[in-house]
Amino acid sequence: MADMTTRADRERLVEEADQGDHLCLAFADDAEQRRVATAYVLGGLERGERVMYFADGRAPEQVLGWLREAGADPAPALERGQLVVTTADDSYLAVGPFDPDAMVATLHQEVADSLAAGYTGFRVSGEMGWALRDVPGADRLGEYETKVNEVFAGGPASAICQYDARRFDADALAAFDGRHPGAVAPEPLYSSGLLRLAPSFRAGRRALRVVGDVDYQSAAALATALETAMGWPGDITVDMSGLDFIDLAGVRALVQTAERLPEGRRMHIVELTPMLRHVMHVVGWDRVPALTVNAGEGAE
Amino acid sequence: MTGATARHTPGPGSAARHTPGPGSAARHTPGPGSAARHTPGPGSAAHLTHQGLIYGTDEEFLSATVPFCLDGLEQDDAVLAVTTAANIGLLRGALGGTAEQVEFVDADDWYRAPGRTLGAYHRYVDRHTADGAHARVRVIGEPVWHGRDRLETAEWTRYEAAINVAFADCPAWIVCPYDTRALPADVVAGARHTHPELVAGPAAHPSDHYTPPDTGRRSWERRLAPVTVDGREAVLDFAADLSEVRAFVAETAGALGLSGERAGHLVFAANEVATNAVRHGGGHGRISLRRAGRRIVCDVANPARGGVEWYTGYLPPGRTRGRGHGLWTVRQLCDLVEIDTDAGVTTVRLHLDL
Repeated sequence: MADMTTRADRERLVEEADQGDHLCLAFADDAEQRRVATAYVLGGLERGERVMYFADGRAPEQVLGWLREAGADPAPALERGQLVVTTADDSYLAVGPFDPDAMVATLHQEVADSLAAGYTGFRVSGEMGWALRDVPGADRLGEYETKVNEVFAGGPASAICQYDARRFDADALAAFDGRHPGAVAPEPLYSSGLLRLAPSFRAGRRALRVVGDVDYQSAAALATALETAMGWPGDITVDMSGLDFIDLAGVRALVQTAERLPEGRRMHIVELTPMLRHVMHVVGWDRVPALTVNAGEGAE
Repeated sequence: MTGATARHTPGPGSAARHTPGPGSAARHTPGPGSAARHTPGPGSAAHLTHQGLIYGTDEEFLSATVPFCLDGLEQDDAVLAVTTAANIGLLRGALGGTAEQVEFVDADDWYRAPGRTLGAYHRYVDRHTADGAHARVRVIGEPVWHGRDRLETAEWTRYEAAINVAFADCPAWIVCPYDTRALPADVVAGARHTHPELVAGPAAHPSDHYTPPDTGRRSWERRLAPVTVDGREAVLDFAADLSEVRAFVAETAGALGLSGERAGHLVFAANEVATNAVRHGGGHGRISLRRAGRRIVCDVANPARGGVEWYTGYLPPGRTRGRGHGLWTVRQLCDLVEIDTDAGVTTVRLHLDL
């Protein structure tokens, strides 16, 4: 398990992903996956790195379509071998059961080959959905995610492993996430000088992370972000570990969203300071049935 | 015990509460019990009964409080006694075995800041009546007057007056003892103004001096009390960007010696008042902080837009109501709050003890 208190420090924007990184992307919508995958691949090509992409459950042509729609023409890079887009089934799963040691050896070789061919480095991204199918060796994915750190740590290579949070079990996802030294920061729902509202993951579950100050000028932005969070599956977790200040209007936005949740769904406000828990107590908001407020870990 | 028979019959208010449907609407309908308020003891559990008990001997204290407790327990009311350590001893002794069913709290622990005390009573009433566990709560509430300066004494008297409006629709029967052996005459006189009824023994009668909170409200309004400034006063003019106000308050309060936790309370409270100023009070204001004796005093001033009721912030907010939480929360976080409109300027003054 990752140390959740340092969760934010592990996160980096996909545009800032760099050699040495082994990042987990836990995504909950297709647009987010597409945005990160596109930016990561194009970023590598621009830096003169060799790029491999392993799709799963989609044709490589679809990934190339993302690049074209982003304004890039992948054809020259494909022709000279700088870009390889394939599927897990057609590559490393084609030769037999998934073997972590063989895969790590292959990646070492890919890095060496990339440098030998004159590229500045190597980057790889894979969609990990195959691990949920009845694939021999899929149970060794966790072992692989730990072993593969040696390929990237301090080396001229990086990776982003893509996990669909809608399909992976939360506990399993948290465990996979914890084997990565870093994670891709989701695109903020709102960002100003004082406040950033971003999707995040706590213990493998989708969360809304509130960083900075919420006051009368930004309470509406919080309400809008919570509206988005209501569209996510399951309970809503609001991560306050990065909160510097929230006023009553901001707390009211949280309470009003909790009160609108359909039967059976709850809102968990986590890592709220004792002072603000006291404020919620004196206003009586700690007695809203669909709302739990606590100091420590995420959804219970 | 006069009126005891009548009290054994459940009042229409309490009966309505057990009927499925909008119970709160039913609670707001005055029952015949409230009309018959002049009979000793309230007939309706759904409304506040607030009585002063002015006593000069232990016997006078017990002759009113003992039947009050016993009668309450017999009717399955929740009973809370907040009084002096000496009176707790007297009451326990007189109640014998039944004392176990009464909750006792030392007044010195309970009466620390008017807003917080009112909030604690509100939560007590809510906790014991919201789920139908008790039809009514009975409270013996003996405020603390020793060690109070003039400003505090005046505000605690207003707190007693605010009880009448804050708990108007609550199923609560509150008896407030005032000990003439220990209290200054003006405090005892205040009790006659703040309590609709006065108790003697098991009987109650209307107070001739009672001053309701909403009629003749001039008598409850009060100018800001003068403060003596120790050292420098820090001032900031603010407009829409309240992050400047928060940074100013945090830094100044720390420099003036307020602890981190209390400074956090002041930042939150000042931000709420400043929010009112920029949203509803002309869009700008001035905040000032200074040390005055054993307190930090913070003023938030802005151009006045209409008057502010003297009891603003003393009314418990409805849980889901959109507005009205701001000054309530401010009063919960600060030790004393003054609100005054004078010469076109509304000033909210926040006091925090060092």
